[in-house]
Amino acid sequence: MAGSEFLLEVRCEEIPARMLQPAMRELATRLFEELMALNLAPAEMETGFTPRRLILMLKGLPSRESDRDEELFGPPVKAAFDAEGLPTRAAEGFARKCGVEVEALQRKETGKGEYLAATRSIVGRPVSEVLSQLLPPLVEGLGWAKTMRWGVGEGPWVRPIHGVVALCDGEVVPCSVFDVTSGSETSGHAILSPRPFAIRSVADYRRKMARRQIVIRFEKRRQILQAQLDEAAKTLGGDLVVDPELLDRLTAICEIPGTVVGRFEPAFLALPREVLIASLRDHQSAFTLESGGMLLPNFITVMDRPDDPKGRVKAGNEWVVAARLEDARFFFNEDRKTSLEQRREKLDHLTFHAKLGSYADKSKRTTELTKEVCESLEWDGDLEDAIQAAQLLKVDLTSEMVKEFTSLQGIVGGLYAEREEYPVDVWQAIYDQYLPASTDDAIPRGQVGQATALADRIDTLVGMFGLGLIPSGSRDPFGLRRAGQGVVRILLEGDLPLDLDLIAARSVLLFGDLLERGGKEILSDLRLFLQDRVRHLLSLRGYAYDTIEAALAVGSSNLPDLLARVDAVHKVREEKDFLSVVLAAKRIANILRESPDQDLEESRLKEPAERDLHSAAEALRNDIDRAENEGDYEQGLRAIAKLSEPLDRFFVEVLVMDENRELRSNRLALLQNIQRMISRTARLTEVVVDKSEHRERGESKSSS
Amino acid sequence: MHPDTFLRVLGPEPWNVAYVQPSRRPADARYGENPFRLGKHYQLQVILKPSPKDVQAVYIDSLRALGVDLEVHDLRFEEDNWEAPTLGAWGVGWQVMLDGMEITQFTYFQQAGGIELEPISAEITYGLERITMFLGLSRSVYDVEWVPGGVDYGLVRHQDEVEFSKYYFEVADVEFLKMRFDGNEKEAERCLEAGLVLPAYECALKCSHLFNVMDARGAVSVTERVALIKRVRNLAVACAREYVASRERLGYPLLAKDKDSARVKEEVQDGR
Repeated sequence: MAGSEFLLEVRCEEIPARMLQPAMRELATRLFEELMALNLAPAEMETGFTPRRLILMLKGLPSRESDRDEELFGPPVKAAFDAEGLPTRAAEGFARKCGVEVEALQRKETGKGEYLAATRSIVGRPVSEVLSQLLPPLVEGLGWAKTMRWGVGEGPWVRPIHGVVALCDGEVVPCSVFDVTSGSETSGHAILSPRPFAIRSVADYRRKMARRQIVIRFEKRRQILQAQLDEAAKTLGGDLVVDPELLDRLTAICEIPGTVVGRFEPAFLALPREVLIASLRDHQSAFTLESGGMLLPNFITVMDRPDDPKGRVKAGNEWVVAARLEDARFFFNEDRKTSLEQRREKLDHLTFHAKLGSYADKSKRTTELTKEVCESLEWDGDLEDAIQAAQLLKVDLTSEMVKEFTSLQGIVGGLYAEREEYPVDVWQAIYDQYLPASTDDAIPRGQVGQATALADRIDTLVGMFGLGLIPSGSRDPFGLRRAGQGVVRILLEGDLPLDLDLIAARSVLLFGDLLERGGKEILSDLRLFLQDRVRHLLSLRGYAYDTIEAALAVGSSNLPDLLARVDAVHKVREEKDFLSVVLAAKRIANILRESPDQDLEESRLKEPAERDLHSAAEALRNDIDRAENEGDYEQGLRAIAKLSEPLDRFFVEVLVMDENRELRSNRLALLQNIQRMISRTARLTEVVVDKSEHRERGESKSSS
Repeated sequence: MHPDTFLRVLGPEPWNVAYVQPSRRPADARYGENPFRLGKHYQLQVILKPSPKDVQAVYIDSLRALGVDLEVHDLRFEEDNWEAPTLGAWGVGWQVMLDGMEITQFTYFQQAGGIELEPISAEITYGLERITMFLGLSRSVYDVEWVPGGVDYGLVRHQDEVEFSKYYFEVADVEFLKMRFDGNEKEAERCLEAGLVLPAYECALKCSHLFNVMDARGAVSVTERVALIKRVRNLAVACAREYVASRERLGYPLLAKDKDSARVKEEVQDGR
């Protein structure tokens, strides 16, 4: 490939797994942008990273910046010469800066008057020189989640830096990152190939790393690990319990991808499956295996070496896994000595939020709110179970197991409730309470689970909003976006016609005087916040943003109803008659802007076109009413679409802003009627119409 | 945290030290029934200040010196940032994993007693039970050979684990602990007023331990917890400030020593 090549390797102590990928992305993007800005964008850019290196490989780099002229502007001519026409100090200063005599300066007309100017020709720098200037601030300035200092105060960076290889076409790009000077030497794996060696080119680097079995590309390492995991699972006769997050994490902690398969005492299989998986995953970063729905007494984890020649890595891991499972069993047995009912008292001592009281207080509120939810959904049969679930929802926070495995919140409570033989609905509600936690999760299984999960989240949202703790930007310490998302998804996917405004208002009341803001403010902020979640979720389902806006603008606080409106708009929005009514609606909105309400007097309708419009509308009134009342929004919109023709004719033949005041106000009244009628399902003016596809028909007399 | 760690990492004076220290964590006590967890264990504490450039390589070599054949083991450094809220101290580093077992806490101290550190110390805390278990392939900590001739860890320490577990979880008298906490706090303050930073710090450490015992006993409510942590922290911060001031008053004696030693070293090298 033509052009220059460039290799950057920043070698350092082990970077935390979670920070590697974002840092690499940032480094690559920023360098690319900087080069682009200088017209030095490479034809190819490849990145790689291991816990101990960030690697950039560029190919097809222009070898140097192009030469160019730069125009410099000095003082205005007015200020450049005095009354005698002699150069002022400003003019002389500018000439000096440009390295020419004052006489040699040009005069250039700009938008702001005439200015002294000079042209300087700039010789483009070699790309190597550009890189030597770009690199230090780029590398030193990477935005790490947490930084440190080392030695006599070097840094801040994520971990101490040991070496920088910066090679452009085999030549070292001279630069310094903190106290480290760039060079052409690196070293291999810290244990297996620590001796330094020199690098000559990108290809040489790849070759030498490969010889040391170091896989520099993340994707490649993951692929190798995945293949090894699959192979091992096959040998054991089981399937891997799939966990892409764990695989990513493990890929980020090794330079040399290797896996080790271990065994544990089958007796530990008596522990709940969830606990076993969490213990192995959270503490030992190990995969579990299953066969026919049952876990196998095996695990697979990753090591930073290719093999286990003496079986020591396996033995060591098995040993630790045994200790971990021993601990899990200890927690499980300890926890089971106290019943969930007994644990309720302990919630008094567990703070939910300093200003919102303990988890006991939260449980009381959630229980009350759960009742309201059940009542308003007419789930009378579930009431008893729902109350029980709500009361026990948070008690597992007092368990040793949850203290040890926070990822098992809710799940542990559910498992314990199952063992204490609570009704299925109750233990499942506790188990499912944090669902959906991610986009792939389902919502809680049953109505009891849905009611309690909703009440719990609405209580949290209202409480936090009531203290003004509303998420902004990337800051969301209480996970309120996820909570909001959960509420919206449960309502939409559960098809629950719950009046969100109403239930949130009940929640506000349950807080008594704990909240610091007025109920109205809280509710309106919460409504906007949840609307954002609705927008997001519905756009993921493929609805256009303006379709969503049109339905949102009607202000339904019942989400399945809202969804039905969105869907109706979505279905009819490509139809010609409907679009023409949309355009008419926009025109009506323009005309009616700021005009007060008028009363329509049928007798004053003079022109045939306005009489026809009126009678067409009145003829449709019943259809529209019925469609709206029955929630058959598509039908409603189709009825509205029938006004297309009379509306068009009206605008062609009738002048709304007639000189006669009575005629004028009567026509405004007619349009107000129409506007009310056609805006019930959705606010049509929100729908964006592509004018190139839908030409407005005929110039109307009333457009002004 | 031992004063040779907590106080010595403060201020500009260099400090390199290694010592064995028993570490008590009441909440980790397991009645001598868990083969890996202990209410009291032994650490080899190492402080290198300022942290040498090659500290990680030196650490790896130290494992080889202990007899760990790294050619057949898996050594990894996993992110683990250390924080001691009661001491206003935190650092950045890793837990060092040998074949999946944590054997060392490796930390670059960033702050102690609420004071930003410079130079930075590297703290290497070797878990001695873990490493000896590893080397001796013991299935249980209690099987580790203490001295040759059949005296194992269990014979020496099991009773301690059983009794203290019972004490921490069942017997400790919370009122008495509180009283001692108050007393030690007052004593620390008195010492500080008298300019006696080391005795003051010792009292602060006792408060810290008493807090841990009360916590393990389950006798500390959430609000109390926050308040108690704050009280210990206040003592630690006051000790740290006072220590820095006292070293300054003394003219940073170790700083001078270091220059001397550097000169001596140079002379020796020149003479060669």
